[in-house]
Formats: sequence, structure tokens, C-alpha cells
Amino acid sequence: MLLFRSEDHIDRWCAAWRLPRGGTLSVEQAWKLADAWYRDRFSPDWRRRTVDEAHELFRSLGMTSDFWRLA
Amino acid sequence: MGISTVMPGDFENRVRVRLYELFLELGRCPSKAEVAATFGCGVADVADAFDELAAAHILVLQPGSGEVLMANPLSAVPTPFVVETKGVSDSRSWYGNCIWDALGVIAMLQSDGRVLASCGCCGESMTVQVRKGEVTSQPPGVVHFALPARHWWDDIVFN
Repeated sequence: MLLFRSEDHIDRWCAAWRLPRGGTLSVEQAWKLADAWYRDRFSPDWRRRTVDEAHELFRSLGMTSDFWRLA
Repeated sequence: MGISTVMPGDFENRVRVRLYELFLELGRCPSKAEVAATFGCGVADVADAFDELAAAHILVLQPGSGEVLMANPLSAVPTPFVVETKGVSDSRSWYGNCIWDALGVIAMLQSDGRVLASCGCCGESMTVQVRKGEVTSQPPGVVHFALPARHWWDDIVFN
């Protein structure tokens, strides 16, 4: 997951690597995702999210396309 | 290959927590031997626990040594995502595995901080700042995921 200056820069990078365009998030979405995903990571009570829980988090952040489906 | 269904046991969970505690205390990733020393157990026991945690997609190990490569969101080795966080009396530096993880380091430490990165295309310097839970990027940026979520763990190092 990389940071780019703009959508144009993503397109150029994908062309250079001959990769299809992937999924994009705003920096704010990425921060909210990181905050929800990692805030409690080193707690003894942390447990991995289930697929359904992860999908619910993605949905709440607007990550609703098939690209964001884990299974 | 999406989220793993392997569930680590109690010892593996204690190893996981100790690994993170030592990582934050030392400011670098501890070795298997350093983790084992705090439990008074053999290095092989910790190596087995690391293997279980890796199978559960909780750690990523270095292929040759079996030492930790990623204790997400932290990277054990230098990456292009430098994270600076503010402690009570000092600033500390870390490496994130990607921009998601780099922001995750700030979230995990529940601190203000910033990610020093660069555009994946042109290399221009970019700084993402988190202050009191609000994020800004200078210059403005966009985050790109090259692989669909169901393939994230197919090649987690590339991803």
C-alpha cells in the first residue's frame, strides 16, 4: 500500500509496473482504517477480526466494492 | 488467501504481547533469543510460537532466520515509511510496512506523530501528520492498494 501525490501518479505507476489499477483511499480514510485496525494491536485482549467484522469496518469507511472483499 | 483461520494458543498470545512490549521498550525488534530470555524458556519454544503466529497472519518472519520481519504495523527492518511519534518526554522513530501500517503505528501508540514517505511514482517527499486524531498530508496525497483484499496475504512483502 503506497502513498501517491495524485490519481495521475497512481496511473503512471500502474502503467510502469504493468499492473491494473487497484483500490484507492483518501488519506483520511486510510488513517481511520489504520486507527480501527491497529489501535489495540498490542493489548493482551486483542483478537483478530473475523471476515464479517473486517467487512463491516470496510463498509463503514466506504470500502464497499468487490475489491475490498477478503473472501 | 484472505484472513487466516488459524487461532493462536495462550502461550503464542503471550509471546505476541511480549514481542510488542520489547519492541516498544527497545525501539527495535527483539530476537527470538531475547523474547525467550524473558520467559526463561528455550529459543525453540519461541521459534515454534513465531511459526504459529505467522501461520495465523499475525507476524511475518524472515525467510532464512525465522526472526520477525513484520510485527504489524511495525517493521523490523528499514522501509520507506519512517514514523515519528511523540512520547511524554521524547520523540521516537519506527518503520511501518506500508502507508496503512505506518499510520497504524501512530494509532497503536495513541500518540501524535507523522509519517515521512514519498510518492510511489515520482519520489517527491510527502509528510502525513496526525495531530489530536486529525490527519493531514503535505502535499495532498492518495493511498493506493495494488492487490485486491482477498490476495493481500498471497505476497505480503510486495503488498
